[in-house]
Amino acid sequence: MLDKPAVVTTTPLGELRTIERFLIHEVQLLDERRFEEWRDLFTEDGAYWVPLEPDQVSPDGRASLFYDDKQMMDIRFERLRHPNIHSQSPPHRTCHVIGNIVIETIDEKLRECSVISNMIMTDYRMRTQRLFSGRVQHRLRQEGDSYKIVLKRVDLINCDDVFELIAVPF
Amino acid sequence: MRYDPDAIRALVHRDRIHRSLYLDPEVFDLEMQKIFGATWIYVGHESLVPKPGDFLTTRIGKYPIVLSRHADGKIYVIHNSCGHRGAIVCNEEKGNAQLFRCCYHGWTFKTNGDLDAVAMPRGYGKDFDLTNPALGMGRLPRVGIYRGFVFASLSEKGPSLDEHLGHAKDSIDELCDRAPEGEIDLSGGVHKYLYRGNWKLQLENAVDMYHVPFSHESTVRRSGKQFGRRAGEDSASAISDRGSAAQRWEQRSAWGARSTGHSYNGHQPIAEQLPDDPVFNAYRAMLERKHGAERTKIILTPKRHNTAFYPNMTLQALNQHIRVIVPVTVDRTEVHVYPVMLKGAPGEMNRSFVRHLNVTHSAASLIQTDDLECFRRCQDGLNAQGSDWVWFARGIDTDKQDERGDYVNTGTVEIQQRAQYSAWLRLMSAKG
Repeated sequence: MLDKPAVVTTTPLGELRTIERFLIHEVQLLDERRFEEWRDLFTEDGAYWVPLEPDQVSPDGRASLFYDDKQMMDIRFERLRHPNIHSQSPPHRTCHVIGNIVIETIDEKLRECSVISNMIMTDYRMRTQRLFSGRVQHRLRQEGDSYKIVLKRVDLINCDDVFELIAVPF
Repeated sequence: MRYDPDAIRALVHRDRIHRSLYLDPEVFDLEMQKIFGATWIYVGHESLVPKPGDFLTTRIGKYPIVLSRHADGKIYVIHNSCGHRGAIVCNEEKGNAQLFRCCYHGWTFKTNGDLDAVAMPRGYGKDFDLTNPALGMGRLPRVGIYRGFVFASLSEKGPSLDEHLGHAKDSIDELCDRAPEGEIDLSGGVHKYLYRGNWKLQLENAVDMYHVPFSHESTVRRSGKQFGRRAGEDSASAISDRGSAAQRWEQRSAWGARSTGHSYNGHQPIAEQLPDDPVFNAYRAMLERKHGAERTKIILTPKRHNTAFYPNMTLQALNQHIRVIVPVTVDRTEVHVYPVMLKGAPGEMNRSFVRHLNVTHSAASLIQTDDLECFRRCQDGLNAQGSDWVWFARGIDTDKQDERGDYVNTGTVEIQQRAQYSAWLRLMSAKG
């Protein structure tokens, strides 16, 4: 019997449906508080960034709400799991919705693409529900059949607002 | 009036204060008048308005003001209110302007607050004086600047800024001296957070060493040490209420000035470990070129952790920042946290200060959020009808007076808060 030729299953870089599935999975991990799995979606040099100013050019030398590398994510999530984290007793519940997904650029050489989407997240704790929304930019690197996040940038429409405490990433 | 000086005195004892200080809107209104309306208030820093025409808007308590650098290069602190009908004139958080123009009837003002022009002036009768200074936005009667820190007072009378700052001024010197150019730069953005609690909760907390192992329990990793408080560090001080870690914390210095209300706590144990990397060594060499090795050693020796300048500003030396407390209502407070960059220090070092402050003091940070939760619970819990008193008795029997007449102690005492409430009592029971 002849061996069948290996079937190449990899979807093309920047294929919308695959990316949409990836982005939905990503925010579901946050809503289900599977923070370590969310962290694992990032590349080793990956970063999560939430600026504090509209059109903020860089996190370097400017304050940000979040600017985490993977090591900082570890510390953040170790703390979120701590039995005596008072600000999460009871914990925030969150619900993310994403949409308006647009593949902005595709770089075949780096196997990367840049994706823009809109995000709405509600969080709830202690009889207070809040609504956050903003524009999200993902820089994704293709790995096998899926992607890893090189950068997730969330520009909240109220990024320069005065915030009560925030626990869960957007 | 319900709160005459005798009624105020009944609320504050040496070791405790009445819970109405946190709950009663009448007390809050009186604080706006007798504390925020009377003493020196930190309003901003020169580095936030570096060029002529630069301005920022903020509040002294609930009173809206503009901090502006006028065409003459000087700093002015102006009421943010049109001299005509009272509308807010500067609507943005910050900006640059040649003139301030009111949106309502187009009156314009110079960037020092003086009236520039009234729109359609012919409509006023000949007896109406369009050059009357009362038609300007009006300036605060007193402004004082110390090493770039701008303070203003709504009162024409009172101690000079120098007298007001007293020994607390050394904390500003210690921070500024760490900059090779001798000045700090606060233009790296601002973290802003809100909590549903009284403004004094944040002021008490900034200089509270007692709460650390409990409020911040979740920041202590399995090693028993806090997560790295500075870039590149795996871990920070050991934090525990037991054993050698507790002993080290009990050696921290504690100081409070009963007259002015300023206070500080000594440096955290981790601050004694100075970084040893090429960037820090280059920085140290810069200081040594300017000051010599001996003086540089003194400058880099940690002394204080947080200093609270009564009533609305705190300064931290470890995760260096300036924190500004803005009371909104009796149970609602805004806090603005500015990362401190040291002028002349290597860019990489300043960027790392800014970056790590995201981790410790943003609204999504790993430390500040613990405190915010405690403030919320205090405000809510103080409504309980069980006890009328909030206690600041820790270490009271071991307070000593220093040569200035201020109070000193060591460790996790509540001397700082006793100083704050001593100043509160003095200001709130003052005549007039």
